[in-house]
Amino acid sequence: MGGAVSERGEGVAKVSLGVLFLAFLRLGCTSFGGGTAGWVYREMVQRRRWIDEQSFLAEMALGQSLPGANGVKIAVLVGRRLKGGAGAFAAPFAMLAGPFAIILAVGAIYGRLGDHRIVHAVLDGVAAAVVGLSFATGINAIAKGAPEPSSIAIAAVTVTCVGVLGWPMLPVLLGLGPLSVGLALRRARRG
Amino acid sequence: MRDNLPAGLLALCAVFAPLSLLSFGGSNAVIADIAHQSVAVRHWTSDRDFADLFALSRAAPGPGSMLCALIGWKVAGMGGALVATVAFYLPASLLLFAAARIWGRWRGSLWHRAVERGMAPIAAGLFLSGGVAVLRVAPAGLAAWIAALAATLALLYWPKLHPVPLLVAGGAVFGLIDWLGVVR
Repeated sequence: MGGAVSERGEGVAKVSLGVLFLAFLRLGCTSFGGGTAGWVYREMVQRRRWIDEQSFLAEMALGQSLPGANGVKIAVLVGRRLKGGAGAFAAPFAMLAGPFAIILAVGAIYGRLGDHRIVHAVLDGVAAAVVGLSFATGINAIAKGAPEPSSIAIAAVTVTCVGVLGWPMLPVLLGLGPLSVGLALRRARRG
Repeated sequence: MRDNLPAGLLALCAVFAPLSLLSFGGSNAVIADIAHQSVAVRHWTSDRDFADLFALSRAAPGPGSMLCALIGWKVAGMGGALVATVAFYLPASLLLFAAARIWGRWRGSLWHRAVERGMAPIAAGLFLSGGVAVLRVAPAGLAAWIAALAATLALLYWPKLHPVPLLVAGGAVFGLIDWLGVVR
């Protein structure tokens, strides 16, 4: 990789607005089980290689510090990085259009099906697989985008506080953010 | 229904637009508020209905927060679904776009790079935390943990594996176990 550089910054490929729109439309229709930010990662970083790991995680970190649905935020930011203001509008619009139509259709069908026990069991199984997706995504992101021992420690502390102990995210971010940035600054100064 | 349609649309805006700007850490942060507003304050849905709509929004493709479209639909049909969806996604997106423009001006400076690289492991940790949080409240308990870890290992071993067959397999296995239990 690494060859694709545009005036919008390093680490992104050149794509047309139409191709960007279609890619996010497809992504929206296939991103089952929530965790949409992970789907954007798999599609844009791992499969299409339109944006590299570091740039993606940097955009995601910016998104995490502001309110909003995570998948939509990362679509705005990746769209913006790839195609400027037009991309920032087209990517989330395309990503939400399919699910919007589908969920209204599914809601209408579910209204007729009623309440079957097996439906809940199937949904539980789907949810467990979805969790596997977030785990694999997080582990891949650390291995490729933040492999230093101190970064792995920061990620582990984040999981302990937010995931295991269930602390609210904002104070954790305010505490760990400056520490982690300080460590990164020291690494950058050393070379 | 027709004559208080504008009132319904306004109420949807009044609920979802502020929540858009309060959803720090993602839309999961405001699911509890959406439930409270929809059930107790505005009487848009019953408890039972809300639980169903929530489960559906997780099983369907797209962000889990598409729940707001389902609630809007219940309140005021297609117009309600559109208004609730735009009210929930637009304010936060505009704020983010403005912030990204300002942030982009410092691209390339040493401390800009340090902030980006320093926040990366935290972002990765939040991916993992989302999974842990779901498992902690999963009705299937230990079985959900085992299935989730199996799915994780499968994806790490075969990175090109498309997620949809994995989700279908998860649903099929749990459904089959439940069905066998019922038969027996």
